[in-house]
Formats: sequence, C-alpha cells, structure tokens
Amino acid sequence: MAFLLRLSALIDAITAAIGRSVSWLILVAVLVSAINAVVRKIFDMSSNAWLELQWYLFGAVFLLAAAYTLQKNEHIRIDILSSGWSKRTRDIIDLVLHIIFLVPFSSLMVYLSWSWFWLSYRTGEVSANAGGLIIWPAKSFVLIGFILLTAQAFSEIIKRIGVLTGRIEDPLLDAKSADHAEEVR
Amino acid sequence: MLEFLVENLAPIMFTTVMVMLLLGYPVAFTLAAGGLAFFAIGVEFSHLSPSINLFWPLLQSHPERIYGIMNNDTLLAIPFFTFMGIILERSRMAEDLLDTIGQLFGPIRGGLAYAVVLVGALLGATTGVVAASVMAMGLISMPIMLRYGYNKPFVSGTIAASGTLAQIVPPSLVLIVMADQLGRSVGDMYVGALYPALLIVGTYCAYVFLITLIKPSWAPALPREARTLGGGVTSLAVMILVAVALYYLADMVLFTGISPEWRMVISLALGVGVIFLIALANDTFKLNIISRLAQQVIIVMIPPLALIFLVLGTIFLGIATPTEGGAMGSAGALIMSLLKGRLSFATLKQAVESTTKLSAFVMMILIGSRVFGLTFYGLNGNLWIEHLMLSLPGGEYGFLIVVTIIVFILGCFLDFFEIAFIMVPLLGPVAEKLGIDLVWFGIILGINLQTSFLTPPFGFSLFYLRSIAPAGNWKDPVTGATMSGVKTSDIYKGVFPFIVIQAAMIFVVIAFPQLVMVYKSGEAVIDPSKVNITVPMSSPGGAPGMTLPPLGGAGGNGGIPGLSPPPIGGAPSAGSSQGSGQSGNTLGLPPLNGLGNPPAPANDPAKPAEGAKPAIDLSQPPKFN
Repeated sequence: MAFLLRLSALIDAITAAIGRSVSWLILVAVLVSAINAVVRKIFDMSSNAWLELQWYLFGAVFLLAAAYTLQKNEHIRIDILSSGWSKRTRDIIDLVLHIIFLVPFSSLMVYLSWSWFWLSYRTGEVSANAGGLIIWPAKSFVLIGFILLTAQAFSEIIKRIGVLTGRIEDPLLDAKSADHAEEVR
Repeated sequence: MLEFLVENLAPIMFTTVMVMLLLGYPVAFTLAAGGLAFFAIGVEFSHLSPSINLFWPLLQSHPERIYGIMNNDTLLAIPFFTFMGIILERSRMAEDLLDTIGQLFGPIRGGLAYAVVLVGALLGATTGVVAASVMAMGLISMPIMLRYGYNKPFVSGTIAASGTLAQIVPPSLVLIVMADQLGRSVGDMYVGALYPALLIVGTYCAYVFLITLIKPSWAPALPREARTLGGGVTSLAVMILVAVALYYLADMVLFTGISPEWRMVISLALGVGVIFLIALANDTFKLNIISRLAQQVIIVMIPPLALIFLVLGTIFLGIATPTEGGAMGSAGALIMSLLKGRLSFATLKQAVESTTKLSAFVMMILIGSRVFGLTFYGLNGNLWIEHLMLSLPGGEYGFLIVVTIIVFILGCFLDFFEIAFIMVPLLGPVAEKLGIDLVWFGIILGINLQTSFLTPPFGFSLFYLRSIAPAGNWKDPVTGATMSGVKTSDIYKGVFPFIVIQAAMIFVVIAFPQLVMVYKSGEAVIDPSKVNITVPMSSPGGAPGMTLPPLGGAGGNGGIPGLSPPPIGGAPSAGSSQGSGQSGNTLGLPPLNGLGNPPAPANDPAKPAEGAKPAIDLSQPPKFN
C-alpha cells in the first residue's frame, strides 16, 4: 500500500504539473485571438494557421487539464442527495464509480484514440484549410489527455482506499474549503 | 418481457442515467459511462430489434467526435469570457462601481436599490459571474443599505436577483452553450437576448420604484452625511452633453468618409475619451472644473462601459465574432486592471487556473454528453422524446409552457451546464419540428435558467448571499450600533417577488417573440475572410462516415436546421413563427455555426422539406466553422 500511495503521489505531481503549465496557454490563446482579430481588421490580413492555433491551444488546455481538474475534485457533480450522506458513504461511492465508470471510459478512449492518432501521425495529416497546421499534435492531445485521466483515476482509487482504510488524511478536505470561495460560474 | 425491454431501451436508458447522476459522481463521467454501458446492451440486443442502430465499429467514431468538439470556434468563447470575468472581478471593479453609483443615486428614495440593479446589469455585461456579483454586492451594498434602514428581505431579494442578471445579459456563458447546442450563432443569441435582458432590468427597477411608493420606509434616501462625494449632478450632466455633442460632431462632420460601423466606433471613442481625459486631468491636477461626483462617476464608469462596448458593441456591429469579442475583452480587462495597478502575477496565475478548471469540467461534460448521445440516438431516443413532446396539447405554446415548467423544476436541483448539455439537445429538435425559432427558444430557456438561480431550496444565488450576509447580530463599524442579522427566511421572502417577475418575463417573451426576433433584422455581417471551411476527412483507421448524428450541437444533428421559419423580409417584428411547420430535416444542409445566417439565400423558404424522417445521417455533413 505504501508503494501504491507513493505511485499515487507521483501521478498527482505529474498531472498537477501538466495541468498548471497548460493553464497558461489560456493567456496565450487570449493574446493570439485578440491580436489576430485586431490585425485582421486593421491590416486586413489573416491566416488560417492563427485561427487554428486558438482552438489547438484551448484543446490542449481542457484535455490535458482534465486529470488535474479531477485531482482537485472540480468536475461538477449533482449533490442534492449525496450532500446528505455520510462522508464514508460518499467515499465508497466514489471508489466504486471510479472503478466501474471512469476507468472503463477513459481507458477505452485511450485505446480508441491511439490508432486514430497514429494514422494521422504516420500520414502527416495536414489541415484542409489553406495554410492550416499539421493535425496530429491536436489529435495527440486527445490521446495524452485520456492517458493522464486514466492515470489520475488510478491515483484517485488508491487515495480513496487510503482514506477509507484510514491510512491517509483526505487530501480534498482542506483543498475544498480553500477553493470554495473561488467558485466560478 | 425481454421484448418490452428491447423496445423501450431508450426510456430505460434515460431514466437509468438520470438516477445514476443522482449518486453525486462527476456528471461528465456518469454520462459517458451510462452511454457506454447502454451501447454494449444495445449492440447485444440489436439482433432482436431492427430499430436499434448500434454496432461495435461505431465506437471508433468517438475520437473524431471529440476532435469535433475541440475544433469549434463557438466554444472557444467560454474560456475567454470566463477569464475576462475573473480578471475584472480581481480588479475590484464591482466595488468601485457600487461605491460610485450608490453615491450618484443615493439621494433619491430607493437609490441604493437602483444602484444594485444597475451594477448587477453592468457586471452581467462584463464579468458574467453570478457568484462574484452577488458576493460583491452583498459585502458592499448590504451593510450600507441596512445601516440606513432598508428593509432586510427587500435588500436580500434585490441583491440576489440582480446578481443573476449575469446569466441573461450578454455575453453570458449560458447563451454561448445554448447557441452551440441549438446550432445557432452566438451573435444571434446575444442580439436576441438584448431586449429581454433590458426588459428584466427595467422591471426590476420598476419593482424598486413601486416599493418606494407603497412602502417608502423600506427604501429610504441616503441622509446628507452619507453622501461622501457631495452633490454636483449638474456638472455630470454637462459632461454627458459634451460627450454627446462630440459624438455627433465626429459622426456628422469629422469622419464622414468611412464606413458607418467604424464611424460610430471612432465617434464614440472620441466623445467618451475626451470627457474621460477631462475627468482624469481634473483629478490629477486638482483643477476643480467639474464636481468630485462627476469626476468619480466618469472615471469609474467609463472603463467598464468601454469594455462592454469593446465586447458587445463590436459583436453587434458585426465587426468581431463573439470569440474575438471575448479575446479582446480579456485583453482589455488585462490592460484595465494593469493600469489600475491591480494585476499581480498571483492574480494572473489564479485566473488562468480557474479558467482552466472551468473549461475542463464544462468540456468534459460535453464529451460525456456526446458519448451518451451516440447511444441514445442509436436507440432512437430522439424519436421517443419527440413523440412524447409532440403529443402534448397546445402545439407550440403547449410545448413551450411544459418545457418552461420542466426546466424550472430541474433548475431547482441542477446546474445550468447540466441542463444545457443534457436537456437542450433533446428538446431542440422537437422545437425545430414545431416551427419554433431556436434563438427564441434558447432565450426562453436562458431566462428559465437564470430564474433557477433564485429558486429555493437550491438557488445558487441564495447560497452565495447567505454565505456573506451576517446571520447573527453584528456591529456596524460606522455607527457603532448593533444590528440584527439577516435570516434565511428574509432572503427567501425577499426573493419571492423577483421569482414572480421572472415567471412573468418568461411568459412575456413567449407571448411576444418580437422581443427576440430583432436578431433577424440586424443580421451580423460576417467578414468572408474569417470563414474557414473545414471538411471533415474520412476518419482514418476508424469507420469513415459511420458517425451517427452527434447529440445536438455543432455537427449535423440530424434535424439540421433545415428551414428555420421563413425570414419575414428582415422586418424587425418578425412576429411569431407559429404555423410555419415547414422545418424538416433537410439532410446534408450544412449547419452554419458561429456565423449567423447569411442574409436571405440560405433560408430559402422554397426549399422542400424532405419529410420528417428522423435522422440517421450516414454521412457527416461538411461543417463550416
């Protein structure tokens, strides 16, 4: 178990580092889009590469940060009923559903997107738009995103077991109260 | 028994997944897992029922469908507007606005309440974050209002309701999601929402006015000693006149040589810019040309107004797409907050991280709902819903009223993202079939969702207000008096009239579609250079072309907006679209997402409706993004 907990901590560190780094791409996307819009109006020029870059960046952000978001427990839940249940019940539900909902879904997506990405990579697929970008990096975000999500799912499973067996403190408890005021909608 | 199960797999799937959602596991993964589980069941049973269109290779379309979500200009607006909102929130714009507008309106009866409504609308048009608006107004205005004897339920209701304006005043995230899910352009959605939003703001003000008439003691004017900025409304009026005069001078005389949109932009910039500079100069050099009140109002109000114009004005004038508007707004917000000296590295880091997490959970719900949708459509769930809703009495209005009630009830329990991603794709095609204009439909749902923030027991706005309003006795730091706290029942009581107003507004918008239909006359002009055409390539490795229609949204949703009701000559009052039952599924007509319908030709009313066949669209139609 100690080994598993170390593995979980390692996964958490990796997904957090990736999640935090890609979040800066939001700023890049904002700047690219704003500058592109202004340049397009004033100098009447534009290129598909710049337009494509915007959604490339956004795709990278939301796919690569999905695992980090899971780690921070920010994937939205419907908690009308569950908020009334005991913490232990909720932990058990999370544990079971991580195993039967999340792991099958995300590992299936890894499996499906691998051949899809590989074909694009091998054939050097390029966007159909004039002056567009190469496509495989965008497709790789889907693959990498779901690999990270699957890894994070295993880390969450380990942590839930750890919490349920009393080996570790729930890492979400202090994070929750600190982040609550930040809630954005 | 087995036969019954097989024939009713779609309703069973729907109910099961809804129950699974109640377990409180993340919505995105629950939807995806439910979709996959029923996919397997459907494939196993497909030999028993010819109507089940599911087979294993279909799964291979999922990566391509996710790629379709990435490759979507409309959804890109979500992170941009979120980022802009967070930056503005951190620059404490709400605080500045409340202080100043409160001073401006304070001397009249109910003035602080008007200020709250107006600031709520302004924040809605800039930050678009309900939590932030409610908390800021609750923290700043509530103590002042209570100090000078405002009625507690009245104060609570006004603040909670004004905060929700962020949901319906463009550029709100709800409208972006709604546009995406209904396959309409965000620009049209924004134009359509404008008048209903203004009407709601106006009605809130009218309610405050009514209260000042029948219960003057609930909303007194500020006493003289509380008006820290002093008087001086005259010089404010003079400054406004100067700005207007400059605008007309520029518009009529100086810049006659350029296109009308740009002339308007430049003239506005000139008029507003000059008085802003005067106010700044007055402040810096203590010139005393204008009153302190006028100076403060101008300095505080102009940057947000300019930002609103930068975002909404350019979108409405057709100069920018909503995505570009969001990006420019974000850049503007960054500059504004930098100039105010309120942009630190920590703020920026927090803003990008919050935006990232919000984007990740929203987009993952969308991915989950697509996985759900693939199975649900394969099981003909869309037909089931259609059958259910079309059998309602009362046609168009019966449908709208039932939908309103359903969403209203769901809104008491669910978050708007969930409703938008799960319910809207199911209801949209039915609305289309009934000949209901989808923008109009989207706005009605939007007001519904806004109301859901106010309805006990799970209205988010009420939670936010509760979290910052003093519950027990508190000591007023200014007067030193001990004040009694705000009870939860005060909040519920105060918000009730606003729920009634909201319900009335929903029915007004249903009864007068003209309020929304103006979007048709003011069709945003799209620059052709922005149009990039993406023709999906047959997905390599996978099963080319075997994509079932994705659940609503961007791709061809089977019930592609074939024929939206015939355009009525571009007249502002397009009237109700009732009776134009022509919308069918014209298979293969490319949806024009994020573009706004080009003027007349695309909506050719003469185009024959190709039967009301449901939608197994075997070739993914080309997309124009």
